[in-house]
Amino acid sequence: MKTIIKNIVAFSLPLLGMGTLKTQAQIGAPYIHDPSTIAECEGKYYTFGTGGGGLISEDGWTWNGGADRPGGGAAPDVIKIGDRYLCIYGATGGGLGGGHSGRILTMWNKTLDPKSPDFKWTTAVEVCSSDGMEDQDAIDPGVLLDPTTGRLWVSYGTYFGTIRLIELDPKTGFRVSGNKEKDIAIDCEATDLIYRNGWYYLLGTHGTCCDGVNSTYNIVVGRSRSVEGPYIDNVGRDMYHGGGRMVVAAGDRKTGAGHFGRTIIDEGVEVTSFHWEADFDQGGRSVLAIRPLLWKNDWPYAGEQFKGGTFEIESERRGYALELTVDFVRMNVARQGWFNSDQMQQPVKAVENQKLEEVIDGWPKGNIPVRIGDYMFRPHQRWTITPVPESGGYLGGPYFKIVIAGTNRALAATEDVEVTTVPEFTGADEQLWRIEQLIDGTFRIMPKAIPGKSGINTKFVLYSIADSTPTLAEYDFKSDNSKWNFKNH
Amino acid sequence: MKKFIFTPLLLLAIGAIAQNPVIRDQFSADPTAREFNGKIYLYPSHDILVPEGQRKGWFCMEDYHVFSSENLTDWKDHGVIVTQNKVPWVRKDSYSMWAPDCVYRNGKYYFYFPSAPAAGGGFAVGVAIADHPEGPFTPVAQPIKGINGIDPCVLQASDGNAYIFWGNGRCAKLKENMIELADDNPKEKVKWGDREMEMVGVNCLQGLPNRQAEGPFAFEYNGNYYLTYPYVRENTEVLGYAMSKNPMGPYEYKGIIMAEHPNGCWTNHHSIVQYKGQWYIFYHTNFFSPNDDKRRSVCIEKLAFNADGTIQEVKETMRGVGINKSTEKIQIDRYSTASADVTTQYIDTTRAFSGGSATLPAKGSWLKYDDVDFSDLTDGYMLINVKAADNTEFCVREGSVKGKVLARFKLTVKPEEPAGGANQAMSRFRRDMRNQWLTQTAALDYTPKGVTNLVITNEGGGALSVDWIQFKNRPKYFSAASAAPANPDEEGFIRRWMLLEPIDKPNSGNTVFTDTYLREHFNREYFKGQQTIVPKDGQKVTAVFQQEQAPAGFGRGQAAPAKPEVKTVKQTLTWHAFDSELFNVKLFRFAEKWGEKVYGVLFWAVTIIDCPEEIKDVRLAVGSNSASMWWLNGEEVLLLSGDRRMVKDDATSQRITLKKGRNILRGAIINGPGMSDFCVRFIDEKGNPVKGYTIINNK
Repeated sequence: MKTIIKNIVAFSLPLLGMGTLKTQAQIGAPYIHDPSTIAECEGKYYTFGTGGGGLISEDGWTWNGGADRPGGGAAPDVIKIGDRYLCIYGATGGGLGGGHSGRILTMWNKTLDPKSPDFKWTTAVEVCSSDGMEDQDAIDPGVLLDPTTGRLWVSYGTYFGTIRLIELDPKTGFRVSGNKEKDIAIDCEATDLIYRNGWYYLLGTHGTCCDGVNSTYNIVVGRSRSVEGPYIDNVGRDMYHGGGRMVVAAGDRKTGAGHFGRTIIDEGVEVTSFHWEADFDQGGRSVLAIRPLLWKNDWPYAGEQFKGGTFEIESERRGYALELTVDFVRMNVARQGWFNSDQMQQPVKAVENQKLEEVIDGWPKGNIPVRIGDYMFRPHQRWTITPVPESGGYLGGPYFKIVIAGTNRALAATEDVEVTTVPEFTGADEQLWRIEQLIDGTFRIMPKAIPGKSGINTKFVLYSIADSTPTLAEYDFKSDNSKWNFKNH
Repeated sequence: MKKFIFTPLLLLAIGAIAQNPVIRDQFSADPTAREFNGKIYLYPSHDILVPEGQRKGWFCMEDYHVFSSENLTDWKDHGVIVTQNKVPWVRKDSYSMWAPDCVYRNGKYYFYFPSAPAAGGGFAVGVAIADHPEGPFTPVAQPIKGINGIDPCVLQASDGNAYIFWGNGRCAKLKENMIELADDNPKEKVKWGDREMEMVGVNCLQGLPNRQAEGPFAFEYNGNYYLTYPYVRENTEVLGYAMSKNPMGPYEYKGIIMAEHPNGCWTNHHSIVQYKGQWYIFYHTNFFSPNDDKRRSVCIEKLAFNADGTIQEVKETMRGVGINKSTEKIQIDRYSTASADVTTQYIDTTRAFSGGSATLPAKGSWLKYDDVDFSDLTDGYMLINVKAADNTEFCVREGSVKGKVLARFKLTVKPEEPAGGANQAMSRFRRDMRNQWLTQTAALDYTPKGVTNLVITNEGGGALSVDWIQFKNRPKYFSAASAAPANPDEEGFIRRWMLLEPIDKPNSGNTVFTDTYLREHFNREYFKGQQTIVPKDGQKVTAVFQQEQAPAGFGRGQAAPAKPEVKTVKQTLTWHAFDSELFNVKLFRFAEKWGEKVYGVLFWAVTIIDCPEEIKDVRLAVGSNSASMWWLNGEEVLLLSGDRRMVKDDATSQRITLKKGRNILRGAIINGPGMSDFCVRFIDEKGNPVKGYTIINNK
């Protein structure tokens, strides 16, 4: 990640009705603690938090309260199984809530939309408990439906003792009869289990909770070939001995990452949801975070929130750069080195970059098509990417405009499913771009809409159909043609 | 650490079934209990909810289950043994599989059951035969010829014959094949209204109190034959009995075994069996169906005979006869006896199977629960599920209301008002727990031995409700250090330590444990010789020190006062030589058992490392919760500061040398609001454990 994006520029932009906020968190009122893994229901996104209730988002970017979970208590998780949603939560509040006598309950709902006539939680049933004296606190459940076996697993527990694994019946949400708890970790809480590529991962929240800007919460991971562990970290240390490799820690003026969740958007497109204990730019409140989830050597780590900036847009296919189809303008600088025998007599003087004003008058005034070519940090290759928050967003980010630096000439999708630039950014949907970091660290760049096609585009991306020719084509994670890098140099 | 709101839910809490009723996942009635192969086998009829198309509010039974138990507490359901539509002679979907019996004779198990014959005409009695008491049973194609009635019971008399009783007390001899009536039975003409029928056998209850008599159960004991049976004395059934010297009578009425059900449940039906030297009566009530007395559940009581062979009247109880293991969840609301003001009620009136609770309304109210076996409890604590409208106090005692106290509970259910100056933000963590079911835990002041009776006494102001109790053994964290030198464990962790009982050291949470704070506070003198003592097990020290008071609530979100209040504190503390059962030394559990507090404390730990040779270039690797400081042979080697958790190899010293002979390793660990523990080992250049030494117990 660090090799790809350097010197990310933070932008200050006025948000609708919210005064000035940096575009680095979810917008709306995304205040939550211990968000459940994001669930999708009838086109909307839902996450549920400690204390009851939860957040709803129409587009994945703007989040507001309104989700409804009875039962109070701490740290729920929600998973869709078949055509129903299973909610699992701790009925109690852990140490600060007065003791470690905890109970974890499950309940079902046909929908997560509280306005739906079908919205009705079933009677909650207990699946495990702690008695307050043992090394165990039955709260903070995280659930995994094992894609290889169809079995339903739950990890739970806090610093007060061990993290435990139990199995539920995915048909009923009840504990599997005769299932014994298994201790799989210590020194963490708000855990979650995920599966990928033959590995089971236990994500734990390490550090101190609930101390605002001083909370040291961070998310660590260990992995195992068996869901029952042992979960081993990158130096071979068992999470049962306190091990764990960092997935996301404080940064970006936010502290205290806790309660991991993973959402797969598309092949190779994943996000992690969690909360920040304190977002310094939102008064130190606890807020929802959605970050790209990246994978390296079968280890997960959180990518950075993409915030825009001025970049080369480099194709993963050939390494060429997206540029305007305009004449290459040579720079009038005498050649140095062995071409010029006088060089040793002259002082070294920096060569200035070619400037926009030196070349722009030679560009056509109307639409200018784009192509892909050798990157020479010339004005027709430098793109400024800026969030357009009033245009909504998607899971994890706002739509962006992509303009030639210093101009309003904007990259746009065309009716014939190609890509061009228009002289002035108008805010039209075909000029808005969804930018998502893929699990390998590259990005996909997707127009919000394609003229002549109805609805929000979720299929076509900026695509290198040839080394030098960009187009719009269906996203394919297996092809480098779909992938781009942003480089600021 | 999590927080916020507490919301209770009603729970199905059913453990071992030592109380009445004994079958709790289905209805069960008309129980016949027999001893086969050293176990009790229970053959009840099986009430079900009335399906569509059947008579509402009437008896409804389609099959039989059999259950077995060796202790009358743990019951195993062997499943369905006979079902109506697989018996050739039974009318399809007649739902009339009424009270059965089962006996063993000539190597086979004979299961007798009444039902409605396909051919019509009231009830008949059929037989199914098996090689084992739990089946599989094969029904005989035709019912027993000559029996027109219900409720069969087979008596195998000492005269070598088998007799079958049924209906309102009629008895006939069976053939040796057990599936036909003997040819030499008497016959009589009986008038039913304007019909006259020939009945086989004799009516043993002729002339006795026999109004609406049914469900006969006959047995032989001490040369007497007993014919016991339900009949209607006034409005509903009682269990009465008669005695005779002959199986087929004449019988003499002797009285009541069990009076009418207090709740008006119309039927009762029973069997009597001797098991492991004790006589028991099995019967039924409608506990799990309080509004419909056709859905019944089997109960058990002990039964006793007088010297003249007559039977002592039995009272139905909630407690039943099973002995609870103390470590089971015990439904203590099904008590044996109680003060007159104690009441019981269903926890969820819409789901009687959810069980009940008992309410002790006032100070002085008590209930007694008999027969709890403590032989499986060694180092125990207890749990009790209770509910109260106000803060109150109660005890769990042994034997009587004045008995020895196992545990005393002070129950705080009202949210405490924030004290003056306390952190207002903490008030969000205070919950109103009035009238909510709460599981309370307590260490035991006293652990009973063997089988004993428990008493709960209300010793507070208001009403207290109880649902269940349970005792649990604590995990073992430490054992006394043995005399022989110990080795580091497989991973090199040092498990043998001398631990000093915790010094009371209030603090405002882990984030105050800066390097400066730790150096100042670890280097203060709490007791004499703190940096040189090599203590022995049981050695006492007197700690006298200046103690800064920390603000309440462990300082989350609040600033510490500029000048904390300072008190002089004196504590007498003891050193304990322990071997930890775990690689991490659980200081929290040590403090819980041996200290005054578990949070806001400072521990001193010392261990003696004996090296046969000098070991160079090792590192001391420590994980601790929370901060800690370590000295080897008097030299500071490692400080773990800040917000720490106990993580294996969290931090190490620089390269150090373990000298030949004795090395003293000393640590101080300070705890905030967490579960304090530490793990210590030596590792080499490559991070592998160093184990070439022993750890001495300084006896």
